[in-house]
Amino acid sequence: MADAAGRVIRRTEYILLAATAILFVVGLMAGDTFFFRLATESLIFGGLALAVDLLLGIVGLLSLGQALYFGFGAYVSALLLKEVAPSFWLATGAVLAASAVVGYLSSFIALRSKGVYFALITFGLAQVAAKTVYNTRELGASDGIIGIPIVVIGTPFGGLDTANAPVFFLVTLGVIALLYGLTKYLLATPMGGIWHAVRANEARLPFIGFDTLGPKRAAFTLAAMIAAVSGALYPMLRGFVSPELLYFSTSGNAVVTVVLGGVGTLIGPLFGSALLTGLRSVIGTWTEHHQILIGLIFVAVVVLAPRGIVGIAIERAKRRAGEQI
Amino acid sequence: MNEPAASPILRASGLSIHFGALRAVDDVSFDVPRGGITSIIGPNGAGKSTLFNLLSGSLKPSAGAVRFDGTDITALPPARRLRRGLARSFQITNLFFELPVRENLRLACQYYEPRVKLWLPVARNTRAADRTEQLLESFGLGKRAATPAGALSHGEQRRLEIAVTLASQPKLLLLDEPTQGMSHGDTADTEKLIAALARDTTVLLIEHDVDLVMGLSNRVIVMAQGRKLTEGTPAQVRGNAEVQAAYFGDKP
Repeated sequence: MADAAGRVIRRTEYILLAATAILFVVGLMAGDTFFFRLATESLIFGGLALAVDLLLGIVGLLSLGQALYFGFGAYVSALLLKEVAPSFWLATGAVLAASAVVGYLSSFIALRSKGVYFALITFGLAQVAAKTVYNTRELGASDGIIGIPIVVIGTPFGGLDTANAPVFFLVTLGVIALLYGLTKYLLATPMGGIWHAVRANEARLPFIGFDTLGPKRAAFTLAAMIAAVSGALYPMLRGFVSPELLYFSTSGNAVVTVVLGGVGTLIGPLFGSALLTGLRSVIGTWTEHHQILIGLIFVAVVVLAPRGIVGIAIERAKRRAGEQI
Repeated sequence: MNEPAASPILRASGLSIHFGALRAVDDVSFDVPRGGITSIIGPNGAGKSTLFNLLSGSLKPSAGAVRFDGTDITALPPARRLRRGLARSFQITNLFFELPVRENLRLACQYYEPRVKLWLPVARNTRAADRTEQLLESFGLGKRAATPAGALSHGEQRRLEIAVTLASQPKLLLLDEPTQGMSHGDTADTEKLIAALARDTTVLLIEHDVDLVMGLSNRVIVMAQGRKLTEGTPAQVRGNAEVQAAYFGDKP
């Protein structure tokens, strides 16, 4: 990636980290739980948006059904915590492994097509999964799974209580930061280069010696795993899961978050998630129809700043550095 | 698998492809000898580019076979053909336009590295990096290394197109109208470049510019309406009455 873009992304990371640190201290002093839970939620949905951005912004695949993997992670995690053992490591570990398998297998269906058809297939797959969960009594049907026990995370330094809002916020921050770091690392490998090249000109890749299906499958599987691990944290925060997690509104919100934050920037989606979660909460105190306002904001961003917030900053920095856009 | 050096690098036998009733390429057979430049000429619609697509694997033939370096490659997809040493350029510039020039070349050079290194930091791929810098240098694109390929001038893009194709150090280089849309000066430079390339590898060239072809080539294959009309040395082809009729437009 060009220098100016790298600098802006680095700066955005610092800004987010500094803002998080400041708000964390303020929240602690105020002794406010609601605020920490809201911030944790924004991180969890930020992880889902990160997965969407890996596919959309890097590989150029618009997934309209990423909630499938997010919901899968949430349900597997909820079931294990409730029925097997309230263990953070068991839940996240099992979700990681299971989502790798599910992601890889579903890539065979989703990647049969490109462009709009890919978007439709991912949408359809998620709808099928949502309806199936909704109609399965063993999974709680429309009620979902409630009564998930409080999880204490066993670490060599003692237990971390997820019921403690600031503590669980830090745990979630750690998990999402790991996912972000892993994705960013991969983008700096030749495989990341191939992903960018798929978006830039997929048809040319075979003529420089690379089959494109394999790298696309790898990205698709990785995006499923990122979404699922983020989802696995959800029942620990909320104590329940419900079929809404798999609905199109969840997938669609993730796409909105990515576009608002900045497609292809990875940090943009996390930024966008913080912004949108905050907005929704604030607007939600005035009116129940907060989705209308979010929708208007989305339209405004697409029309006025299609590259999103971080995208605009990158564009400006490039212009200042005299780089071509 | 070692064939004698005299065996052709490429052999097309009875290659045909039909799109409905249209016989775009119809029963075409020829050999490309090792070394030097073989050219394919023919009027628009003669099936030259379709033939290239059959040779490089973009299209599967309705009938016929392609042997490359002693092996039947008719069923191989393009990526596998490239890895065997058969590379092609495109008539319409076909680059990673959003990506910087250096990244275009680095991707093309990644081919040298073992597959496992795909998952290690780019900096660990030193052979690909060295080859990239070498290509930037020899194609005079060093100053443009950080520029997105889409922002290059037409001539620079054509040069990058050849550089990307050459990155894998192919045994056979298929060049599809490399001078397409170039100025006179750029065409002359490209002519020199192709002659230089042919010292290290075999070149199969599609070209519209007949003078350029006749000056450069060791052998010329003439196509018309999907069929091979004739082949031979430039002198033989020039003297052929059928070619005069079909290609140069003279009445016999």
